[in-house]
Amino acid sequence: MNIILIFISAAVVNNFVLTYFLGLCPFVGVSKRLSSAVSMGMAVTFVMAISAAVTWLIYNLLLVPYHIEILEYVSFILVIASLVQLVEMFVRKVSKPLYDALGIYLPLITTNCAILGLALFAVLRHYGFVESLVFGLGAGAGFTLALVIMAGIREELELADVPKYFRGAGITMIIAGSLALAFMGFSGLISI
Amino acid sequence: MSTSARMIVVLTLIVTVSGGVLSSWDSYTAPKIQHHRLVELRAAIADVLPEHDRYDELALPAQTLYVGRKATGEPVGIAFIAKGSGFQGVISIMVGVEMDFTRLTGIKVLEQIETPGLGTKIVTDPTNKANPLWFPEQFVGVRPEPEITVIKNRPPTTETEIQAITGATITSRAVVKIINDALKQAQIEYQSSLGKKVS
Amino acid sequence: MGKQKSAITREFIKGLWDENPVLISLLGLCPALAVTNSAINGLAMGLATTFVVVCSSIIISSLRKVIPHQVRIASYIVIIATFVTVADRFMAAFYPAISKALGPYVPLIVVNCLILGRQEAFASKNNVGRSLLDALGMGLGFLMVLFTLGTIREVLGSGTFLTYQVMGDWFQPWLVMVLPPGAFIMLGLLIGLSNWINDRRAKA
Repeated sequence: MNIILIFISAAVVNNFVLTYFLGLCPFVGVSKRLSSAVSMGMAVTFVMAISAAVTWLIYNLLLVPYHIEILEYVSFILVIASLVQLVEMFVRKVSKPLYDALGIYLPLITTNCAILGLALFAVLRHYGFVESLVFGLGAGAGFTLALVIMAGIREELELADVPKYFRGAGITMIIAGSLALAFMGFSGLISI
Repeated sequence: MSTSARMIVVLTLIVTVSGGVLSSWDSYTAPKIQHHRLVELRAAIADVLPEHDRYDELALPAQTLYVGRKATGEPVGIAFIAKGSGFQGVISIMVGVEMDFTRLTGIKVLEQIETPGLGTKIVTDPTNKANPLWFPEQFVGVRPEPEITVIKNRPPTTETEIQAITGATITSRAVVKIINDALKQAQIEYQSSLGKKVS
Repeated sequence: MGKQKSAITREFIKGLWDENPVLISLLGLCPALAVTNSAINGLAMGLATTFVVVCSSIIISSLRKVIPHQVRIASYIVIIATFVTVADRFMAAFYPAISKALGPYVPLIVVNCLILGRQEAFASKNNVGRSLLDALGMGLGFLMVLFTLGTIREVLGSGTFLTYQVMGDWFQPWLVMVLPPGAFIMLGLLIGLSNWINDRRAKA
């Protein structure tokens, strides 16, 4: 399985947000400002890549050999929660303004379905270690891409006259629909 | 008890109880889940091979072949699962061939996530009221000489052709490629396994 | 007695509309879009989520004085993940067709912000009885939205309802409805509609 194809597929053709509906909470919540969208995207990509690697190790070196695959969900989410905790501490130390900008959304990366979804998909598709890692990077890139596009649009939208009842979440969903429609054009670009 | 100790104790207890509950739940549900998988497999094999009374599993290095046999032991055909990339994701197909691999006895799409209403016609086509299963049924009796070929916009005229779904050419071609590739591999594997048995 | 009763029922009712998890709080969006391509899928996901949030709330509420503050999130997550595994295996064992249709979205109930949100905001601070009502109300509110969305998308996108043909042969299904774009747009419209309804109720 070509690694480049996995990356492109996860980032564009089968974009995690617009095709698989993963990572929507931050997608709606953090996409108001371009700068916070980029920061969130990078934080998520980082967590995704490492989660992909660590969950692969746990699944293949611990759960499968001891036939305790039933602990998949519990172990994966614990790994992700710990990783997010580490990232949180790291960001706080390295850049306080960034930490403040991301606010509540940083710990909320734990409940970002995209990360757990990524780990689960990698298991379902029987990816190897490197493939899972690349899959994680691609998924993160795709998430960042969707988030950044949405933030760009929403910044412009502040000057537009959005109908009263659609302001906020309503119009965001409808724009997401148009984006999803556009991204469907990538289907079949490459076979996964 | 100090707070750190308490933290560790509580968390460990919760994880242990969780592990225990899940283990017993696993023992209870695993056999049922296994049973469903087996039922599905049997149904798929029954769909693609001619009438038979049982099947033997032949576990080869790259895949498992299922040889259907009548009660007398006479083999009726070989079934195996072919997998590959479709338009949107992986397509998994149960393929049935005659013992000498010269003709297909049938196919059944097991898993796919193709475009609803277009690519999904490989499973069933509700827009064709006369025969919704026209696409998979085309494969019955098809001769891979040396491969199955795909044609568009007209019904097949030879025994090696099948007609693609209008508007779902990529999915149709993917299905044929998956079957062609798997056929070649299964044939090589089967014949080498026969060779091993003889010697 | 009357006042007490209405306070208790309020815990239940708030989840159904006023604080509806999907339409008002925008929680649980991922499953709300992913598995609502048919009414039965939406219903099944709603039931599974309700099961998990109710069971988790009961356990976490009972243990609320025992779990130390620093490890509360980790504890809640383990408890939630356990119930999700139970629900997932239950469906795979007894309703394999639906389990296949819902696929990887059942385990994703673990990270449904709705559930962790209820534990953090309510179950960890209230008694078991009230937590149960709160969880039930939220779960059912979630289920209602999923079922509605699933129904609309199925009727318009496939012409069927619970797999029974409801639109005549004249109807050409709106394919986009069962695809991602349709899901987003439909949810956006529902949110707009609920905002309009709430606005009129406030004025009335």
